[in-house]
Amino acid sequence: MIEILKNMFRRKTRTLLTIFGITIGIFAFTVMGSMAERINLLVNGGTKYYSDKVTVVDAHSSLAALPTPMNINKAQEIAKVKGVIAVAGTIYTTLSDDIDAVNFGPPPSITAGESKAQKYESFKITFSSGRDLREGDKGKVIVGSDLVKKLRASVGGTVKIKGKDYEVVGIMNKTLTAPDTAVGMDITDAQKILYDSLPAIIKAQVNPNEIVNGFTVYIEPGVDPDKLASVINKQVDGIKATGPKAFQDQVASATGIFNAILFGIALISLLVGGLSIINTMTMSISERIREIGIKKAVGAKTRNIMKEYLTEAGLIGLIGGLIGWGLGALTVMIINNAMENSGNIIFLLTSRISIFAIAFSVILGIIAGIYPAYYAVKVNIVKALREG
Amino acid sequence: MAETILKLINLNKTFILGNHKNAKKAQKAIQRLQKKYEAASEKNDKGRIQVEEELLNKAQEHFEKEEFEQSYAVITGKFLKKKRGRGVVVHALNGVSLSIEQGDLVAIMGPSGSGKSTLLNMLGLLDEPTTGQIFIKGKNITAIKRRELPNIRSRELGFVFQSFNLVPTLTALENVMLPLRYAGVNLARRKQMAKEALVQVGLGNRIHHKPNELSGGQQQRVAIARSIVNHPSIIFADELTGELDSKMTIEIMNLVIKLNKAGQTFIIVTHNPEVAKRTKRILFMKDGKIERELSKPKLK
Repeated sequence: MIEILKNMFRRKTRTLLTIFGITIGIFAFTVMGSMAERINLLVNGGTKYYSDKVTVVDAHSSLAALPTPMNINKAQEIAKVKGVIAVAGTIYTTLSDDIDAVNFGPPPSITAGESKAQKYESFKITFSSGRDLREGDKGKVIVGSDLVKKLRASVGGTVKIKGKDYEVVGIMNKTLTAPDTAVGMDITDAQKILYDSLPAIIKAQVNPNEIVNGFTVYIEPGVDPDKLASVINKQVDGIKATGPKAFQDQVASATGIFNAILFGIALISLLVGGLSIINTMTMSISERIREIGIKKAVGAKTRNIMKEYLTEAGLIGLIGGLIGWGLGALTVMIINNAMENSGNIIFLLTSRISIFAIAFSVILGIIAGIYPAYYAVKVNIVKALREG
Repeated sequence: MAETILKLINLNKTFILGNHKNAKKAQKAIQRLQKKYEAASEKNDKGRIQVEEELLNKAQEHFEKEEFEQSYAVITGKFLKKKRGRGVVVHALNGVSLSIEQGDLVAIMGPSGSGKSTLLNMLGLLDEPTTGQIFIKGKNITAIKRRELPNIRSRELGFVFQSFNLVPTLTALENVMLPLRYAGVNLARRKQMAKEALVQVGLGNRIHHKPNELSGGQQQRVAIARSIVNHPSIIFADELTGELDSKMTIEIMNLVIKLNKAGQTFIIVTHNPEVAKRTKRILFMKDGKIERELSKPKLK
């Protein structure tokens, strides 16, 4: 190994530039991969959440804005549809009026739901401290993990939401999906917030105690939620029911393209790094032809020569990979820390991304080293000793 | 009587230059005939041996007369599809046969291009003969698989080259350890054996020096230490004093003779009559053949 390190740094500048090429590739892979990972887990969480239920909003709601308010009594009509076991009114609105321009994932939000259907919910939330909301917990909230810093929340303390103080009763564990950027509160408190946000002309037409802007429909076991959604759409007027497929079509496939672009950029960087290893190793071998001849003359086998040069190429990959991963991890940490105050976490550096980045750098190095190593084993001993 | 450790029968090396597709094919065809002949010999199929031997002799005869196209047509016509090219056949060796016994100290002399180094390279299994057989300790090396040659080189053979050919990034000790590494000797034993070899050549105090920190004579001593470290049956030295002054030449030859007295066999290719004079046998080569041989009862 010492000999391989010595060989690597015979031409320091050339080797360092090659390592730098791999570093850039792995840095790009780590950062882009962490971004993709964050989005993937967010989407996976959404996919899991929506997998066994139907969500209902007002027929006039659009994706671009918050759902249009509806009367909570609409739940009774939905509940009559065959296959439905429970319907819970829900409220979803943004936490802050000045929404951040760019959000990776859902913006910080306020969520509330009728507790009567809680027992049917399969997506369970756990708490790092405190407890879940109970029925009648007016003036109390639970806070998502990504909002703790932004809201300076702690159990027993208070947080100011829409100008009013609420007591924090629980801090949620990280779910890596939507609840991380949400504040949960009693539905009556949320109804008031939603009502206050409405234009005066609409306020006059609605009862603040009957207002919601969505329903979560829990379904009987074995019922296809997508089919049930279309039945609900047919049987209940003025609403738009969607099953898990809608989420999959609208969000998950879009993120697939996004992922492909991110990984594509990173892979192109790595390809360039790989080519620079081929170049460096080939040049290095052509300078060491005589040595290869000597080694073969004194008994080096094909596998000895192959091993030597593939190890060298793999080592270049590993060093470049470790530096690239280290810089990537540092960048991810710095940006995430900076963004934590806004509750907008962009990156998620998981162990699988880290392991893959480093393993890939080594494999890339080895693959890039195959051609030069093959060139080395094919060296004619006599010619190498005479002319090398 | 000393054991014969190296024997050559009709060793023939042909260099083919120019547009040589057909000549190369002819060379390969003869090699195939050689293998068939060896296979028949192994099976002791007398009828087949005779047929193959006749074919082989005829092919070699044609080939040596540089009538490779005809030899192709007569002997291996079924493989020949291309028309005659403009290949030029040059015999670097032309039917060399000799035996080397244990404890020999042989010098090979001759003018440039006489085939000395080619012969040495083939004996050292660094190059392949077109025809002929090489036996090391009675084993026909030309019949064994190419992938087994490195093992034989690292265990049975040692090499010393004119320009020392040490690995510049390795210390003297590491250079000497190289053949042992490829022979699969463990690190501790490798170090011990390499140190002993360096002490034997008088460089016990230079083991951690790199080649560029050593004089030419010292570098050649390191190369000799590397050649003896695996206790080879035979050491091949190609112009081992070629880059040394007369004082260093004497020193290196003293070392060679000391090792030879201890039982080490050497074959030395040299232009230098002073080096040859100190050996036990001198083979004079010309035009790829051993022209004459001079044996001396005693070293001077």
